[in-house]
Amino acid sequence: MEFLSDTVALSRMQFALTAIFHMLWPVLSTGMAIYLVIVEGLWLRTRNSDYYYHARFWSKLYVLNFGIGVATGIPMEFQFGTNWAPFSEAVGNFFGSIMGFEATWAFMLEAASLGIMVFGWERVNPIIHYISTILVAFGANASTFWILTASSWMQTPAGGELVNGKFVINDYFQAIFNPFMRNSVLHMFFGTLETSLFVIGGISAWYILNNRHHAFFSKALKIVLAAAIAVAPLQIYIGHLSAEQVYKLQPSKLAAMEAQWNTIPAGQSADWSILAWPNDKAEKNDWEIAIPNGLGYILELKKNLSEPVQGLKEWKPEDRPHLLPLIYYSFRIMVGIGFFLAGLMLWSLLQWLRGKLSPEDITQQRWLMRAWIFAAPLGYIAVDSGWIVRCVGRQPWTVYKQIRTVDSASNLPPSNVLTTLIIFTGTYILLLFAALYFGSRIIRRGPNLDLPIPGIETKPAINTTPGEFVRDERPVEAKQ
Amino acid sequence: METLKYFLPQVWFGILALFLFLYVMLDGFDLGVGILSLTSSNEERRSILMTSLSNIWDANETWLVLMGGSLFGAFPLAYATILNALYIPVCVMLFGLIFRAVAFEFREQANRKFFWNVAFGAGSFLAALGQGFALGAVLAGIKVDEVGHFVGTTWDWLSWQSVVTALTLIQGYVLIGSTYLIWKTEGEVQTTHYKTAKIAAWTTLLGAIFITITTPIFYESARTRLFQQPLVYIFGIIPVLGILLISQLLTSLGRRQERAPFVWTILIFVLTFIGLALVVFPYIIPPQITIYEAAADPSALVFMLIFVGFLIPVMLFYNIYQYVVFRGKVTADGHYGD
Repeated sequence: MEFLSDTVALSRMQFALTAIFHMLWPVLSTGMAIYLVIVEGLWLRTRNSDYYYHARFWSKLYVLNFGIGVATGIPMEFQFGTNWAPFSEAVGNFFGSIMGFEATWAFMLEAASLGIMVFGWERVNPIIHYISTILVAFGANASTFWILTASSWMQTPAGGELVNGKFVINDYFQAIFNPFMRNSVLHMFFGTLETSLFVIGGISAWYILNNRHHAFFSKALKIVLAAAIAVAPLQIYIGHLSAEQVYKLQPSKLAAMEAQWNTIPAGQSADWSILAWPNDKAEKNDWEIAIPNGLGYILELKKNLSEPVQGLKEWKPEDRPHLLPLIYYSFRIMVGIGFFLAGLMLWSLLQWLRGKLSPEDITQQRWLMRAWIFAAPLGYIAVDSGWIVRCVGRQPWTVYKQIRTVDSASNLPPSNVLTTLIIFTGTYILLLFAALYFGSRIIRRGPNLDLPIPGIETKPAINTTPGEFVRDERPVEAKQ
Repeated sequence: METLKYFLPQVWFGILALFLFLYVMLDGFDLGVGILSLTSSNEERRSILMTSLSNIWDANETWLVLMGGSLFGAFPLAYATILNALYIPVCVMLFGLIFRAVAFEFREQANRKFFWNVAFGAGSFLAALGQGFALGAVLAGIKVDEVGHFVGTTWDWLSWQSVVTALTLIQGYVLIGSTYLIWKTEGEVQTTHYKTAKIAAWTTLLGAIFITITTPIFYESARTRLFQQPLVYIFGIIPVLGILLISQLLTSLGRRQERAPFVWTILIFVLTFIGLALVVFPYIIPPQITIYEAAADPSALVFMLIFVGFLIPVMLFYNIYQYVVFRGKVTADGHYGD
């Protein structure tokens, strides 16, 4: 157990653990916020009370998520200082500014608007309420934008250079619009949206399968499906573009993702391994199942590569990513889930076009509903796997080819980090179970369809209290 | 360029001070209410206490995130060194905040509320304790080398001064929490918190007097600054004003006024804050590293100022608007919404 006395390893584990757990909550709150904007908008437009009850019901799950997201997110921000002080000092000029923007533009806006979105239904008028909902969604997604900007900059640092161990920025906009930024932001944006859609769809499917409010929830399922028609294929496309960028800009990560040990020269064809077991010590794969010529088609849509694919042996052992099986299989899990969700979308679309998803027939679609329930947690797994590929694949660098992870960690007694790591592990496992328990409780209770609808006063049939004289203050035209 | 190097760190010191103050004031009464919930005799009272916070706690806590992010961006060296030095108190605060935050949602849903009640109260207490130790340790000074890297040991933050500061901060939070509850509640709950406010006012006063007297005695750097003209007059005025404000607070509590105690408490917080800022300025890692040494590049400070500056009034407006929307007393059945 060598790592128990290695502060860098322990700090890495702590960051990975807190990030992997934290991610579970904002993923849903970011995507679901957009869904809430849609249903509340539908309600305001159509005045169909179902949409109002949808907004109320899903926002309960939203709040639960948001609260845990805040609780688990604050430690992330402080860890940069506590566990990664040299890194923070070196990149503070840019990275710190972006963290500041995330806090102001995104988090503050979301948290401040949330109070009115959740508790303000009867206190503010519907338009102000809707503006709050939109601000919540805007804030949540602005968060994705800034966090992914910062993270992309760590992958493809731009806009400045390292001077005496400190990254000096010459051009902030070049740093923000670094090569990875656009695709990373979009990939995460679609990731949160897709995860949320399939969670909402999966929960709706559960109600439909159990014959509870099935007409009500078939509406949710159709909104989800309509959105997924665009999102699921787009996500695969953006994912592909991201992988292409990795191929061009982070060859050592690509080699790890594909467990490619030897360089394939330009002009040759390359096989693509579906499954393999990369062996760090022997510098080869212990076994491998490959599709002939696959890699050329994946990277460039043709048999022979026009640029070489560098193999891991190109780098000295201390310059390549380790934990290869983790990177390799995380990548495959993410991609597999992406295709599964797109397939489920196509299957559901087919049934929709055949008229099988009408409120009367939808309860007959038992296998389809089961597939949706099965799909509900998959988005989370894909997002976490993607982040593992992104961050473990970047090793041994915190800022790719600029600052090494070993030079980024604070000099702390290992016992301190070990203690907090244990407490974090216990706490986050407890939070996950509590979230699942209380979340499923909200779901089991179901929507409250008796809530009064704002703007429509419920009056007793016979008014027994004597009326009060109210002066008619309408404009003259209205009195006619 | 030279004036910018002088001027910009001061602007950012001011902005950070504003964020920190808003955090201490707003999450201060949040945490204070949390600590007071440990004394609540029944579930109904605890519900009132938590409902009085349910719509604002996350917005209040955001000022901490804002402060952390801005400190990281504007004074990266200070962010790195201080958090590195205060590993244990910061982690204590973080674990406290985690439990405090999730308790809001989980308690609402749970049948057996005991665990989440404790999580809420103890979480609030731990968060306040961690913050108090951090504040005390920063005021007492952090051991750094000539470039500002932390060179002390794990337990440097623990000293009798930081213990006193932590206890005083907790009392201050209890005080502002009590006066907030006086404002937001009625009946029995209000009566109780007139009492807790009175006790907390006295204990906070004792702590403040103790810190005011001991600071110049034990810290040479503070002493030389404090007894220089013209600062010496300001430092003479602050304790006098402080005692005046506390007596006003006690009078308003005696008269059973509802809003005045909260306002007087805020003014006491403002005064304390000005006092602390003057003791610290221009150091951001006392007693050695100044804001000019720890600041990010001027270009970074300008860049941040452009992106963050205009949002400050927007955020303040939105936060105030929230308090207007949810004005009025909290009652026992009283969820604000659903």
